[in-house]
Amino acid sequence: MISSEDAPKLAKEWFRQKIPAELLVKYNRKEITHAHSYGGLSKFFKGLTEGALYGTKCWDCGGVDGNIWLPPRVHCPDCWKKMVWITVDTAGAKVYSYSTTNYPGAGFKGTVPCPLISLEIPGVCTRPMSYLSKFADDEPYIGMPVKPVFRKKIPTYTILDVSWVPID
Amino acid sequence: MITFGKGNLRVPKLSRPVYIIAAGLTDFRKLYPEKQTVELCLEAIRMAVMDGLGMEPKKFKEFVNFCVYSQFADHFGDQLLAASKVHDYIGLDLIGNIEVKTGGATGGSSVLAAIMAVASGFASCVPVIGWERMDEVDTRQGNAYIASAACKDFESELGWSYTTYYALMMRRYLHEYNPNRETLAKIAQKNHHYARFSPYSQLPGDYSLEEIMKAKVVSDPLTFPECCVMSTGAACLILADEETAFKLTDKPVKILGLGAGTHTLRTADRRDMPVLLLPNETPEMYKDIEGYPGFKAFLAARCGVRQAYHMAGIHNPIRELDILETHDAFTVSDIQTYEDIGLRPYGRGAEFIESGDAYFEGKLPTNLSGGLLGTMHSVGATGIFQVAEIFWQLRNEWGKFHADEYYWKKYGKTKPEDFRNLQVPNASRGMAISHAGTGSHVTALILERGR
Repeated sequence: MISSEDAPKLAKEWFRQKIPAELLVKYNRKEITHAHSYGGLSKFFKGLTEGALYGTKCWDCGGVDGNIWLPPRVHCPDCWKKMVWITVDTAGAKVYSYSTTNYPGAGFKGTVPCPLISLEIPGVCTRPMSYLSKFADDEPYIGMPVKPVFRKKIPTYTILDVSWVPID
Repeated sequence: MITFGKGNLRVPKLSRPVYIIAAGLTDFRKLYPEKQTVELCLEAIRMAVMDGLGMEPKKFKEFVNFCVYSQFADHFGDQLLAASKVHDYIGLDLIGNIEVKTGGATGGSSVLAAIMAVASGFASCVPVIGWERMDEVDTRQGNAYIASAACKDFESELGWSYTTYYALMMRRYLHEYNPNRETLAKIAQKNHHYARFSPYSQLPGDYSLEEIMKAKVVSDPLTFPECCVMSTGAACLILADEETAFKLTDKPVKILGLGAGTHTLRTADRRDMPVLLLPNETPEMYKDIEGYPGFKAFLAARCGVRQAYHMAGIHNPIRELDILETHDAFTVSDIQTYEDIGLRPYGRGAEFIESGDAYFEGKLPTNLSGGLLGTMHSVGATGIFQVAEIFWQLRNEWGKFHADEYYWKKYGKTKPEDFRNLQVPNASRGMAISHAGTGSHVTALILERGR
């Protein structure tokens, strides 16, 4: 038997345009849950909830100084061996670029407008993306010194658990 | 990788010549409930076969021995294995087919796959059909689907918007190279303007630079007219070997060069490296460059175009190409691409616009189709649409497929009174750049007018 409780809804209008009467346009509603594992990166996302920022490093390919991966990777993309976890020293972290979004896509958990940033961190060979959780009117700017803050209470268990604030 | 071995830098070659013999499009719309995806795809191939080759479908189908289908995201169409429905709908079973997926470059990669099929001898006549059904979800959800093609662990949650990921590149590009902000707006102005002369276009219009720069900001500094449209529609090309090509048409367009490149999906993960040089560049030009590529360059474009230039024997792209279609998803990505493909050295991309080179009657008219900003970005169709527009230019058929009232009426449109014929006189070589992600995949395809 087909339940008649959820009567299908027909669209009369879409993108602020009227649907011509001869066409049948039906709404298909979806609500889906995936169980997504962070796998070998679980340490990183757990770390955020505990106030730690972990990167990874390949001592063979990366040499003594620098070349820390953040976002971390379990394996070195050059030699395919496992890298080692290392706590990222964020001293000297600066805003590499920024953009304030007014129209984020569906599912965005932050408030709008939201200043997204890319970071330059000494010793890190990547330019990770994040966001500012505190900023003044004339901020951000390229080169602005920043430090991380962590969402330890009620974490989202996503990359949103770390954000950055200006160093006053 | 940030260092290369000899095998990595090999110049591609085809085992036998490959030709494009026909092209077809639908018009492109934000909302297209009048037609299902399969209907749009049938219309695109019907136009290629009937209007292009002047053949009856049944007769044409006798030649087909492989097909390539191009759709970016199953999310949008909400139909997995949609290629099978299209293939069935146009009546091509039991012939083999594949569906290709490389994000925004899906169209370019599909053409690449079809070229490989013909060049290897596996097939002799291959339709390539691309589409994207982007109108089932609202724009916010559409942006989220597109941002599902960013890294879900480290990027997507940060805005669910590719516009933001490009805006981060734009801010940095403006900071490092300090071009006139207006120059970027001119790219949007140019492409929306050329879209006025295309019966296929979704967002034609003449805008002042002020209107573009003062329009609503999507993610600063990018404004609405500087961001590509989201479209529903389809595009088709027919590829063939030499024997079939000359049997079915008298002036096929030859594949002269092609290349493909990639770079990390996450813009963040692009480690500093030396500049991979193009044939028209010297190491001295970049001896002082720092933090390269950073956010200023697309090395996937560099890698792909380098292969294509070497294969085609091109040393000076502006002089040796007559027409270009770039993937102008955002004004900033366009200016970056001019540098990546060697139209100007790094840092001087703005000159390509300011010199007038990029305009009709300039040295290398670019996106006379209206591009992704003005005409369409129905993702799986996009790379195919670009090649279709170049194909017509090289056959001196731009007028036939744009000026003819028939196509304007077909889509319920009125041809503008000030219509301009954008056929580039004697165009003999053209290039199309198909681009994904923030430069995760790029293909470069160079075409030459046939004998």
